[in-house]
Amino acid sequence: MSHHIIWTTIGAILTLSIYSFLYKDNPFYKFAEHLVVGISAGYYLVIYTFNFIVPNVARPVFGLELGGEAIRFAGLEWWMALIPGLLGLLLYARFFPKFAWVGRWPLGIYVGGYAGLGLSPVMQARVLQQMEANALPLTSLTNILLVVGLLGTLIYFFFSMRHKGVLGVFARIGIVFLMVGFGASFGYTVMSRISLLIGRVDFLLSDWLHLAGG
Amino acid sequence: MSWYDKLLQVDRRWIFLAIGVAVVVPFFVPLGLPVIVTEPVQGLYDAVESIPPNDKPLLLSIDYAPATLPELEPMALAILRHAFRNDVNVIVMTLHPAGYGLAERAVRGVAEEMEQVEGEDYVFMGFTPGVSAPILGLGVAIRNVFPEDAYGTPLDEIPMMEGIRNYDDIPLAITLAGWSAAEAWIYFAREPYGQQVGAGVTAVMATDYYPYLDAGQLQGLLGGMRGAAEYEVLIEREAKGVKGMDSQSVIHLLIIVLIVLGNVAYFAQRSARRKMALEDA
Amino acid sequence: MDRFPRILLIVLTLALPALPLFAQVPPPDIEIAAVDSVAPAPVTGLRAHDYVDNSDAGDKIELTWELSADDAAGASDVVRYEVFRSEIEDAPGDSVGFALAGFERFLDTTAEAGTPYYYTVLVSDGTLLSSPTTTGPVRGVSNFFQPSRTSVLVLALVFFVLVLIFTRLAERGADLFVRRIPGLNAIEEAVGRATEMGRPVLYVPGIGEIDNIMTIASLNILSHVAKITARYETPLIVPTARAVVMSAAEEVVKQAHAEVGQPDTYNPDNIRYLSDAQFAFAGAVNGIMLREKPAANLYLGAFWAESLLLAETGFEAGAIQVAGTAMVSQLPFFVTACDYTLLGEELYAASAYLSKEPKLLGGLKGSDWMKILIIALMALGIVLNRLNASWFVEFFHTQ
Repeated sequence: MSHHIIWTTIGAILTLSIYSFLYKDNPFYKFAEHLVVGISAGYYLVIYTFNFIVPNVARPVFGLELGGEAIRFAGLEWWMALIPGLLGLLLYARFFPKFAWVGRWPLGIYVGGYAGLGLSPVMQARVLQQMEANALPLTSLTNILLVVGLLGTLIYFFFSMRHKGVLGVFARIGIVFLMVGFGASFGYTVMSRISLLIGRVDFLLSDWLHLAGG
Repeated sequence: MSWYDKLLQVDRRWIFLAIGVAVVVPFFVPLGLPVIVTEPVQGLYDAVESIPPNDKPLLLSIDYAPATLPELEPMALAILRHAFRNDVNVIVMTLHPAGYGLAERAVRGVAEEMEQVEGEDYVFMGFTPGVSAPILGLGVAIRNVFPEDAYGTPLDEIPMMEGIRNYDDIPLAITLAGWSAAEAWIYFAREPYGQQVGAGVTAVMATDYYPYLDAGQLQGLLGGMRGAAEYEVLIEREAKGVKGMDSQSVIHLLIIVLIVLGNVAYFAQRSARRKMALEDA
Repeated sequence: MDRFPRILLIVLTLALPALPLFAQVPPPDIEIAAVDSVAPAPVTGLRAHDYVDNSDAGDKIELTWELSADDAAGASDVVRYEVFRSEIEDAPGDSVGFALAGFERFLDTTAEAGTPYYYTVLVSDGTLLSSPTTTGPVRGVSNFFQPSRTSVLVLALVFFVLVLIFTRLAERGADLFVRRIPGLNAIEEAVGRATEMGRPVLYVPGIGEIDNIMTIASLNILSHVAKITARYETPLIVPTARAVVMSAAEEVVKQAHAEVGQPDTYNPDNIRYLSDAQFAFAGAVNGIMLREKPAANLYLGAFWAESLLLAETGFEAGAIQVAGTAMVSQLPFFVTACDYTLLGEELYAASAYLSKEPKLLGGLKGSDWMKILIIALMALGIVLNRLNASWFVEFFHTQ
């Protein structure tokens, strides 16, 4: 029996085990659930180790290849690999209650660094470009609806005043547009879930059982 | 028990069974329903079509995981077929750890099918960790992010990478993602560098990306398996995307019927309860 | 009528239909030139300057010129403009590319920063070349500031100033009004119900990373929920999908127990890292719901496709559910399957409202007034477009 048939059959059995939950919770579902949790943890550990830790920290700092070599000390690149590596290790300080506070430093650098990195691009992409694109001439029904919906939604999320009077009217318009939007999004999501189901059924019928053309 | 109570209390496993049948039957009895191409998909097709052959490469970032495979893999295969058909070189990479195997499978499968040569027609860079850092890094120098391809060959030894330094040498970057990586390409490639970006996302996320499409921040957008099916129609190579559309349409009709029935039963029940409350009063 | 809505109403009624911003100019047709024995006329007004772009490393020089007299006029036989570059004056130099007929611009992207170059442009009709037009020396310079991003700088500064002002006011005890969000009552009601039934509360802070703003807001609300559960000795289970988030959640819950004087009731086993993988995490949380049967499920943070899996299972299990996320695509599921939902920014507002932390309040008020500014700017843009003053909208153009 070829490897392909074996692995396809294992995949099919696990697929059916997960789907058995639709009838009721059972040991097959539990087994498949725990298996996927365990395998994903192990897989991600390997991927992150060999694609992240080894090339970015271990190799530059220790000059180690898979076979192992003597430790080398080198210039700027060495320090640029060592310092972030040490900061990452400091996160494990939380296992030692007396030194747990040390772990807040790398966490702060991580959160602050990513916040700063994203500030300008996000301001551009989500605010400025959108403002430019939505300052539309009110010459068509589509444009009017878009501008009214945009204003209503912005006002709904205005927290500094109670939603009364004209503000309340715009907020109610906003929530109507929001709900219409949610409905469209829900429809899209139903489509997405059905697509995943179709994908699995295709796998079972075409790749495993060869009953339908693949 | 009245009809509306029975309807509202139907065991949901009957509904699961009905949906199961609705998925399976079109696989054996294809309906051949037409797939109409929409503007967002046409936009992405036109963007890929406008890349000159044997010149600068298309960058395809296959950022999906097995969970979103049915929606996004058909897109990857269709875009690769389109590019290779037009003799456009392709750089394939991934930002998702689980995407390595899927990206490799996609590019190698299509390359073998269309007799494309690795290193001359396509290059597979593999996985790089992080999201914002590698996307920003590619704008400075590709070799800073990927000094070598996934198999250890330095980029300077790969014929198709000669003269390809950064985003200035990439006419279009397409991301296929079921998570926030798609947005990250807009923030960190499009906005800082002006890189032209296209996206293929799951249908769940598609509504989030229409504002970017309308503002011109995306060249085109493929939404879910339907988007993949439309692209397959455009490249005249129907595959899993189109194949799934019959089942998709049948199930959507079924769900609409169930929603209508559910609402009719709900309002009938509410009306009956109001009447009973008035009579009791 | 309050002053604000009156102003808004006036601004909105002044927004009138506008004419199109730009007229579309079709690209020039490219014609094959007829063969003749006369060289085309050279370009005039050739200028070269350092090109400031999005990632300026000083390696881009832009050339502009006035079209050859024979381009689409005169002999009408121009095919393209050949561009040559040299580091020595009056030397022929190497070809760096070309621009097609009708184009008055060329961007050299291969220059070295700091190196002086001389550029020569020759007009070609396919067989003959014009006399050369040269300019230089010009150097590429790595620029410190990108002028097309001025609007980003201005708006960012305005936002920072607003946030700083409101944060200072909050720190000084000023009464900054934030309207009450209905979903907040629901959170406390849900925790109360779990306490009455003697069953745990399940708090899912989403599957976003610690740098995700929704995760941070969720951890603030977790602190509030943890204090209530600690006070009533109700078990609080917090499953996480990211190791760093688990680390932060442990800190938050432990701190909450300490603040209400119940450090001994803190159970670290209830703060669990399950899996990075999205659906593995959802499956594991569903398992917790079915086995440990929490009476209240709180989903607050960043969620993706697993949201409906979680909410549906919780609904089936009969728990009271309160959700809050700014992931627009997931809100429909939470609205359908949960008893109360905090929509979008309400999650951040709840975080500020509950904690009364000056920084959070300052951020919330700052972003509120930024919204007013954005509305006003957009309305102004619509009005100015009507008056053909497109410079205003162009100020926000960053590409």
